[in-house]
Amino acid sequence: MRQDLREKIKTDWVFCDGGMGTILQAKGLKGGELPETWNLLRPQDILDLHCSYLNAGATIFNTNTFGANRLKYPDNLEEIVVAAVDLAKKARIQCGREENAYIALDIGPTGKLLEPLGDLPFDRAVELFAEVVRIGAREGADLVLIETMSDSYEAKAAVLAAKENCDLPVLITTIYDEKGKLLTGGTVASTVTMLEGLGVDALGVNCGLGPKQMMPIIRELTEIATVPVIVNPNAGLPRNENGATVFDVGPEEFATYMEQIASMGVHILGGCCGTTPEHIAATIAKVKDKKPVVLSNPHVCRISSYCEALEIGKHPLIIGERINPTGKKVFKQALRDQNFEYILSEGLRQEESGAHILDVNVGLPEIDEPAMMEEVVTRLQSITSLPLQIDTTDIEALERGLRYYNGKALINSVNGKQESMDAVFPLVQKYGGVVIALALDEDGIPSTSEGRIAVAKKIYAEAAKYGIPAEDIVVDGLAMTISSDTDSANVTLDTIRRIRDELHGHSILGVSNISFGLPHREIINSFFFAMAMQNGLSLAIINPGNEPMMRAYYAYMALSNQDPQCNAFIERYAAVPADTVTAVYAPGATSTATSSNKELSLIGSIEKGMQESAIAAVQKELEKRDPLAIINEDMIPALDTVGKGFEKGSVFLPQLLMSAEAAKAAFEVIKDAMKDTKQESKGKVILATVKGDIHDIGKNIVKVLLDNYGFDVIDLGKDVPPEVIVDTAIDQQVEVVGLSALMTTTVVSMEETIRLLKEKKPGTKTVVGGAVMTQEYADSIGADCYAKDAMATVKYANSILCPDSL
Amino acid sequence: METTFPYEIPDREIYRYLGYRNALPDEAVLQKIALCKERLIKDVSPKAIWQYYDITWQDDTTLLLEGIPVRSQNLSRNIADCHRICLLAVTLGPAPDRYIQKAEVTAMSDAVIYQAISAAMIEAYCYHINGLIRKEAEEEGYFLRPRFSPGYGDFPLEFQRNIGDLLQMAKNIGITLTDSLLMMPSKSVTAIIGLSKTNSECKEAGCEVCNKSATCAFRRI
Repeated sequence: MRQDLREKIKTDWVFCDGGMGTILQAKGLKGGELPETWNLLRPQDILDLHCSYLNAGATIFNTNTFGANRLKYPDNLEEIVVAAVDLAKKARIQCGREENAYIALDIGPTGKLLEPLGDLPFDRAVELFAEVVRIGAREGADLVLIETMSDSYEAKAAVLAAKENCDLPVLITTIYDEKGKLLTGGTVASTVTMLEGLGVDALGVNCGLGPKQMMPIIRELTEIATVPVIVNPNAGLPRNENGATVFDVGPEEFATYMEQIASMGVHILGGCCGTTPEHIAATIAKVKDKKPVVLSNPHVCRISSYCEALEIGKHPLIIGERINPTGKKVFKQALRDQNFEYILSEGLRQEESGAHILDVNVGLPEIDEPAMMEEVVTRLQSITSLPLQIDTTDIEALERGLRYYNGKALINSVNGKQESMDAVFPLVQKYGGVVIALALDEDGIPSTSEGRIAVAKKIYAEAAKYGIPAEDIVVDGLAMTISSDTDSANVTLDTIRRIRDELHGHSILGVSNISFGLPHREIINSFFFAMAMQNGLSLAIINPGNEPMMRAYYAYMALSNQDPQCNAFIERYAAVPADTVTAVYAPGATSTATSSNKELSLIGSIEKGMQESAIAAVQKELEKRDPLAIINEDMIPALDTVGKGFEKGSVFLPQLLMSAEAAKAAFEVIKDAMKDTKQESKGKVILATVKGDIHDIGKNIVKVLLDNYGFDVIDLGKDVPPEVIVDTAIDQQVEVVGLSALMTTTVVSMEETIRLLKEKKPGTKTVVGGAVMTQEYADSIGADCYAKDAMATVKYANSILCPDSL
Repeated sequence: METTFPYEIPDREIYRYLGYRNALPDEAVLQKIALCKERLIKDVSPKAIWQYYDITWQDDTTLLLEGIPVRSQNLSRNIADCHRICLLAVTLGPAPDRYIQKAEVTAMSDAVIYQAISAAMIEAYCYHINGLIRKEAEEEGYFLRPRFSPGYGDFPLEFQRNIGDLLQMAKNIGITLTDSLLMMPSKSVTAIIGLSKTNSECKEAGCEVCNKSATCAFRRI
């Protein structure tokens, strides 16, 4: 009977096999030929390969399924995987290793990039992996080994697929470059944080580098990993010799490095490209009689984004609270309108202001919160490197947020009620996460710190049943307004202090709750914030755009010796002129729009593309003039001047857009002033980058300008199927549709969209643009207008929707 | 300054991609360009892979590469008389795409600037890699023909898949293909370079071989 692998990998030597692809190439596999076809075409060669590694002493050996997925084998995937496992089983019997060798179902990357950067949907990636896992597990694999993953998101998809479709141990190795980064930017710490959260049984590194170049990566892995580490290097760096790829590190040299790696705390050792049975045998000979060095790293509270890990508890950290509709009319409307641009820009603004984590709360009764959570999380994580906090009371929305999150999230929240813990902890167990625990339960909010600590202990104990370590729980000490109970700040601060001193745990507060009902709340808030940090607060949910709060933070960090040489404080405040140290933090105030320009007129500001001076000017104008007059007499003429300049070639694209941005900023101010008057739109225009095309910069340029000229733009995004465009045009009665395509391969979708529009909604005007477009091309696919640049689209939309304005 | 990109980026190219033909950007735009450039230079991860292959000719317009027939008049003209080629793939990694996406939310003017700078950067990087290949080729007594990419003229874009397989592009340097054969990261280039024993004078490929060059606002003068 084979020993339970999950137990064995904790303390014992485990040897993986070495290179497979490189050996098959040596046996005659051609460049571009799919290696897995040999399971059917040349089974004896695969069998021999397995036997050579088993005879060299490998404990874990891989099925020949690295690239086996439905994308590469649309017709015979099942046959390929069944044959692969079968060959592995045969080899094990043949070599007499039934008792002590484990068959790893080998899973490599799909070769596609996941959405939103690429075009493979996350769910599709999970399904591609799941299919292989189901077949492999059914056929008798002993473990799943996911390897050579260069994108954390794809790695997550593979791990979920394995966990959801079998009970086998899941081991995973990723491929780092010489800077210690995944190809999509992940670091060792961010990758380990996410994968440990997902509950893998061991993790590590393979391919890309030789053992020598891997050393810094291995050092970092062994310093933070709390599960066993796997190291499968190449036989050095690949080198080109007469057109063939060769690896230079021979078995003895390789083994010497591996011996050193073992001494760093790695006892799962093998090889990758260029390594041979001799490399593995030499490695085994070097280490097998030694006692494995077993890591005993403490579990540290960490969350991660796709590219960075953040330790909680080391220094106080700021969670930006602004992505939240509570009490915000505009935000609520943005959720209803699916105005993602607004929601995302709230996130980016907070990042700019100094937030370390972004809270994401998109709950509104009348919307589909789970779908919205998925959408906002996936969009936000592709443009910010900050870790996210999934904030919802809707368990389905929580699961969607966690599933699609590219990292280990902060979860807001669980509480001491059994019902809450029963719902939330299984999700934390499955997806990983650091969870915020509100110190309240069925009996309500305890009025004393004893009571709150008792609830915290109860939550820790319940979490432990799910294998969730105490370090992954952050206790909310519950800030409640002093306006109704003047002792409440004392209770909260005492709770925070006791979480640190007695529970050795981490704490969090929604800081501003302390001042409900009081005037000038930030005075109370900022002082309370400093007091809370002094009492050990780990995380603060605040508005990072609120300068008094940020001052409290930077001052506290400097005063408590957590800001070396006061660098962060100086960097933030040194350049801020004394008279602008006000309630508004304006880091760009001195650099972008220099003070000498502040006197510029609205027209001048727009023409020169200066946002801040445009805002200042329009505010001044609003004091004395009618909003509509400002639009018609100043803004439109200014935009026209710039637009005409662009057409003539005296104004260039960046200026055109900067002017548009300045005008947009001014419009926002005017809109605010005209809240009660109904605003006129020139008409609706649909914009879409057609199916198959994922570059939408051109479309987005057009959008900015159409917005500016008062059109109501329905932006359908990129990779939009023809049916969606047509259905939207019909539903919303849109007369003008703008389509963008970059490549000849995607103009086909453009043509299809136009054809479908003519059939289903005759009379709709189409305007097309994009890199490969020409007038002739546009004519040939039946478009009504070819727009050579963004202004051309504006002109066309004007000519159709408001011919009088010309 | 921290840099992952020690190659010369010609400012003129950046301006050209932004639509400035003979004009120079004003101070505000120059400032933006400098800032965006600084960020990109810090964050891109340029990677390249290339491999040499012997080819045979089936007829005047069809070559055979590792058993794969490639039919293209334009390519054939470009590498006429060559019996050896270099397949090349280079990328700046995902950083430019991330910056562009982010700027599309905050300021489109930054987005087009990131776009232009990273376009100039991938060109500059190609030029650098091209130089390394030239050196290797010269040591073997070969001269290089200009780079020629799938999608130029009648060279089928479908050949991207073959390049992807032959160079193991996704695994080695992270270039993936969408179903519609776009490369992601978008700031990536693949190409065939012909190796010839004869030195034929020819210009760098680019605008000269593009069938849109007559109408293109961004063409080199």
